[in-house]
Amino acid sequence: MKKHNLIAIFALLSGLVAGTAQAVTPADVERSFNPYKDGMPSFPGLTPGMVINKDNVDKFKDVLDAGMVMVLKNGWSEIKVAPTTQFTLNQHYIEASLKNAGSAQLGALNGQLTGFVAGRPFPEEPSDSDARAGEKIAWNYKYGINWGDGAIIAPFYWKYRNMQTGKVERTIKFNFHFLNFKHRVQDAPLPEVVPNPSQLFRGIYVNVIEPDDLKNTQLLIQRYEDDLKFDDAYLYLGFQRRVRRLATGQTTDSFLGSDLMIEDFEGYNGRISDMKWTYKGTKNILMPYYDHNALQLTDEFKEADGYKYVDFGGQGGCFQNITWQLRKVYVVEAVPVNASHPVGKRVFHIDAQVYNINRTLIYDRKGELWKSFTIGKAHPDSHLPINKGSGIAIDDSVSMIDVQSRHCTTAQFKGQIDPKQNPANLFQVQNLRSGD
Amino acid sequence: MNRPKSRKCFTRFKTTGFRSVFLRATLSSLAMIAAFASPARADDLYLHGYYENDTHIRAADNTGKTVGLSKLRNTVQIEFKKGILDSGFAVNGIFRGTYDGVYDLNDKQYGDNAGGAVNLQTTTPGGFVDVPHGGGLNHDQVAGLGLTNNTFGFNSTNPNAPGYNPNSALRVIGDRWHSINGGAAFGVPVRPCDIDNRGCANFGGYGNKKGNELAFPEFNSRLDFIRELYIKGSIPVGDTSSVFVKLGRQQVVWGRTDLFRVLDVINPVDYSRNNIYDELQDIRIPQWILQTEYRLGGTRFLQDANFQLIWNFDKFRPNNLGQCGTPNVILDAGCLFRGLKNLWDNGGTVANFANVAPGVFLATDFGPRTIGLRNIDLPKWSLANTQIGGKFEGITPGGINFSLNALNYRSQLPSLHGGRGATNPFTGVASDPNPYLIAFDLVYPRVNLIGGSADIQLRSIKAALRFEGAYTHGEEFANTLHSELYSRNDVFRSVIGLDRPTFIPFINPNRTTVISAQLFYQHIFNHERQQGPLGPVGMADFKNNFIGTLLIKSFLVNDRVSPQVILANDFGARAVVVAPSVDWIINDQLKLTVGGNIKSLWGNIDRYKFDDCRSCNPFPPFTSGPNYPNDPFQPGSNGLGGIEPLGRFRAGPIGSAYKEDEGFVTLRYSF
Repeated sequence: MKKHNLIAIFALLSGLVAGTAQAVTPADVERSFNPYKDGMPSFPGLTPGMVINKDNVDKFKDVLDAGMVMVLKNGWSEIKVAPTTQFTLNQHYIEASLKNAGSAQLGALNGQLTGFVAGRPFPEEPSDSDARAGEKIAWNYKYGINWGDGAIIAPFYWKYRNMQTGKVERTIKFNFHFLNFKHRVQDAPLPEVVPNPSQLFRGIYVNVIEPDDLKNTQLLIQRYEDDLKFDDAYLYLGFQRRVRRLATGQTTDSFLGSDLMIEDFEGYNGRISDMKWTYKGTKNILMPYYDHNALQLTDEFKEADGYKYVDFGGQGGCFQNITWQLRKVYVVEAVPVNASHPVGKRVFHIDAQVYNINRTLIYDRKGELWKSFTIGKAHPDSHLPINKGSGIAIDDSVSMIDVQSRHCTTAQFKGQIDPKQNPANLFQVQNLRSGD
Repeated sequence: MNRPKSRKCFTRFKTTGFRSVFLRATLSSLAMIAAFASPARADDLYLHGYYENDTHIRAADNTGKTVGLSKLRNTVQIEFKKGILDSGFAVNGIFRGTYDGVYDLNDKQYGDNAGGAVNLQTTTPGGFVDVPHGGGLNHDQVAGLGLTNNTFGFNSTNPNAPGYNPNSALRVIGDRWHSINGGAAFGVPVRPCDIDNRGCANFGGYGNKKGNELAFPEFNSRLDFIRELYIKGSIPVGDTSSVFVKLGRQQVVWGRTDLFRVLDVINPVDYSRNNIYDELQDIRIPQWILQTEYRLGGTRFLQDANFQLIWNFDKFRPNNLGQCGTPNVILDAGCLFRGLKNLWDNGGTVANFANVAPGVFLATDFGPRTIGLRNIDLPKWSLANTQIGGKFEGITPGGINFSLNALNYRSQLPSLHGGRGATNPFTGVASDPNPYLIAFDLVYPRVNLIGGSADIQLRSIKAALRFEGAYTHGEEFANTLHSELYSRNDVFRSVIGLDRPTFIPFINPNRTTVISAQLFYQHIFNHERQQGPLGPVGMADFKNNFIGTLLIKSFLVNDRVSPQVILANDFGARAVVVAPSVDWIINDQLKLTVGGNIKSLWGNIDRYKFDDCRSCNPFPPFTSGPNYPNDPFQPGSNGLGGIEPLGRFRAGPIGSAYKEDEGFVTLRYSF
């Protein structure tokens, strides 16, 4: 979206918001969606085009999260620095955020939210003095634009790699579908899919194409609007030809043998109420945001439309060959409420503009770093034609590294903001039963 | 042609030649397919397949002899899927060919040289006496009593006379899992039907197979190499609703349980492939079915609602219980049928039959058309013989996923109707019916089923709970209280299952181990069983029975190594099986599985003994005996029993196979 369009939206809607008695101002909303209004962040010595590696990492550790410092110090990978760029979000989402600014209120319990309609629920800058600032950031993430009202990643290649030898142990080919049932801002039906008697908020539908032993496996995750309600998850196993309901605990298991659990999807795929959220501060750090078409891409997977995927390299082939840019992030610590959760805590680095989780450090129950998780984000205007102008930053590459077992899972996306490929009936349990 | 034979050299050459030609052709085809098979292409063609070798070794059976190789199954399966333009419809196909080398490599157990001469038994007050097949009470001995028109005796010696049924190429019924021990028994031919056609008949897709047909089971008149071939797609009829159609040869799976088939009864099952130990998807026998669904999606009251109609218009097929003489004959039923058919066609010696004096039960040589299996009534195709079912499935706003099911179908298990027309062996006069006579017709009765299923998360214990139940009307059971030796009983079956992923740190601290427990329950309504003078009479099946299963499956090394153990306990049979195995996914193409199954009884095998109708006195007063206190002029059972033939229903698939401990190695290469 062009910058002048964004200014026009704020101008048009500022009167509406100004008329309310809420503390959130249009300026708050504008700052939230354009944190770089007053200029791009910088750091002494950090210049676009340079490479950070084990030789110079100490000079730049203040603009790196602890996980990336470890990666660079170990010589596992390098960071190519690119200029910071605007990732201006979808105008419908921004309009909804302005229109409904101040309407969302935290409830008494973690996981309770009242008054929320659509858009970014808490656009105001988080404050150290706000004991529930972390929770508000989590809500902003949950109701973020993410994949928009609906999108598909097809195909979606995951590789399980031995980080020490570089051997690719498995390659899984998926299709992933996302659909918002509620709080939709752009694609019909608006504002929600009806009927929706269970009050579902969102659905994720996954279909495994390859390899042979996993093909036809389908996963359906249904998240309720009521965050205190547990998700429902259903698994169709091709070799059983029937749908199994997943027990709650299985969302924290390795998903199909990968280094990701269902809870890791999109950065964090659990409930707000599953975690105790603590805001740990705001930083400018290097984040995996890039122009997809400007990268050196791989020819490994052939697509009829000529689309090419992000390449991987570094130690064991576990790291995206991408560029990184200095961006404003909120650091939030999430500690599982469930004492038997395999994760001790997650340290999220959430992009302040996009409100996506792009760098996560996952610690085990003993407090030791377990996994380093990177979700590469591509600008929609430098991606597939269908994504251009969508205002939805595209999840484009994933690296999940189990630093303890020296194993990783990498993922290469072909993300498409295409509501036609995400009809609501795809997210019905019965749809799973028509699997082969 | 009743003569058992050894193949001539040229026959052997021809046979192996055919097999190797087939293998070469298959491998050539594979190579061609592999050459152009690739992951799903942009033109929406999906083509995949695998080659699998499954090798099983079996320990000693009840005879004390090690069985050895019990499976050398080589399977090639090819699957394709192709979209039809942009219609939303696609054509799917799965083709499978199998060659099981066990018939060539262990032919003394399962092939052309299986079986031999057998001894039956006579009971005397002094003990059991061996009697060879053909050496029992015969025509001349009975004629000596003045019954000169008697038809006892059969041709076990003259290959040029009709009904030649020599004492060769036989095994004693049930000898793999129990001894005669004073019960009824007879010899059963065990060689392929092109080698020995005694007792061969089509019991429902098995029972009359030649050696090649056993080795290559999919290549038959029903074109079983076409595992599945169907067209499917959805037609939108609203924002969230659609009509789904799937037409063709397919599997339709109802229910929510593993291993058990309470609602999952639309497709019959091929137990001859690997008894109960293969995945159901590999042993369901696909049927030509029209499946239509009206998917409403969300409604005012349900998050998901769906109506399904099933029309199975295929020619009827029952479960394949395995041909006698092959490695997997579930319940040993195929041997019972073949043995009975041979008795009817050719006559034979039945152990411990004629009660001629107190405590004396002579092995008896019956002539043809007296006892045994007379007819097999396999329903022909007609509109009236097709099967139809419906299901409503929904999800409540509270998250309860449920279904209501109804099905009108044919029983996939046979029923034996006794008391059929036969020759009175004492007078030589044919009569019909003959109450309580062990002369049977094999039929597949019509059954109506209503049932339902549900699952729900139990968040407090972090588990998923599954339930499935069905009530049937029309099933038939062996019942020696009835003159036709069966009764029709309503049945309720249910399974409750609990799946709980559980952290077991010493197995994997970061990944749950799946613990899945199920309890199957069966209740037979109007169950009949009473105590006769010599033992229980009525229904051998338990009025109430439970089977429990427990699966513990863990995942290691990024799920590439997965050890598991399955335990199943049949409480009625007091039989248990432990089946440990380890899957190792070497890479995306290669998977190795090593495992076994060990069965054991935790009760005495005599628990399986039940009325065998030797004392049913079907030809009064000739068949009354000094040990039988009932009225000698009235037919009806006195309750004399043994393990054969009804003990198999008490033993169940675990108990009747408790001497079939196996180890196996399976290697699958996907391409």
